[in-house]
Amino acid sequence: MRIIVIGGTGLPEQVAEALHQAGDEVTIIDTEPGRDPAPAKAGLRAVRGDPLVLTTLEAAGALRADVLVACTRTDEDNLVISYLAKKHYKIATVIARVNDPATEELFDQSWGVDALASPASALVSMIRHASVG
Amino acid sequence: MQAVIMGCGRTGAALAARFDAEGDQVTILDPDDAAQRRLSTGFRGRFLTGNGVIPAILLAADIARAEAFVALTPNDSANIVAAKAARDTYRVPRVIARLHDPVHAEVYSKLGIVTVASVPATVNRIAQLLYHEALEPQHTFGNGETLLVRSAVPAYLAGRPVSEFDVPGEIRVAELSRAGHSSIPEPSTALQDGDALSFVVASGSLGRLKSFLGGKWS
Repeated sequence: MRIIVIGGTGLPEQVAEALHQAGDEVTIIDTEPGRDPAPAKAGLRAVRGDPLVLTTLEAAGALRADVLVACTRTDEDNLVISYLAKKHYKIATVIARVNDPATEELFDQSWGVDALASPASALVSMIRHASVG
Repeated sequence: MQAVIMGCGRTGAALAARFDAEGDQVTILDPDDAAQRRLSTGFRGRFLTGNGVIPAILLAADIARAEAFVALTPNDSANIVAAKAARDTYRVPRVIARLHDPVHAEVYSKLGIVTVASVPATVNRIAQLLYHEALEPQHTFGNGETLLVRSAVPAYLAGRPVSEFDVPGEIRVAELSRAGHSSIPEPSTALQDGDALSFVVASGSLGRLKSFLGGKWS
């Protein structure tokens, strides 16, 4: 699959590398300027730039991607990127990261989000589950 | 009118003061509690600490009853997210957002959000003052991308048809004033000494219009 991952160090990079190692065609839009692009070292295709600019998304292959993962540390960026991915580029699967659970209710189809990844909510439900069991 | 402003910077605080002076009820939001120091003394509106991207904060600002929402933060994606929520979820009839970085103009337009862009508006106005002072605009549209300008027709153009001024996408003759009478001319109307014309012109084409009118290049 052709996958675009957007974000910087940590989770976005780890996700991109894991998908790349599994044999997917992965491009990462690195949103952390001024550092050595670690993704390139790992053999990943890396694009630099502002993901809220259409030419950046297109340079990363938005016109032919199957999956886009909006994984920056800023929820409003993830929402706007998801909207563009789904409504403008018609990308089949759009997954977005929720950083602040207070914004989680926004992450739905109206923003083009097919599935959300909310580490805080996931942890909380895991804790509830574990402590009940 | 009830209005909600997101972002209590210099523009937000000044707009809040304006709404307040007009007798409107204002709620202004800012994640930084200290931002309320920018509000003028005697401000009758409400200051709320919080980020308007968060639905609970917009609800606390009574967004569902607002008739206007203005997003003025320096973060374009926050302005977009809050403006879309105000328009689509809370049905606020008038929604306006500041476009902070001009590179994001295309994204705002994909979402159909009305923007006020201070950078292009300032650049267009300064360029107009520096390069084309003789063509003082009667009216500017949008963020100064197009203007309505008026000029006397130089004598040496007498007898030439109005259509000679029309450049598709750049310059269009909107009106002809002759002997105190105004009309919308035919393309073939011949100009006379003493005529005045109104043009709708793209800001980047002011130089071209000036050269048509025989103005000197500065």
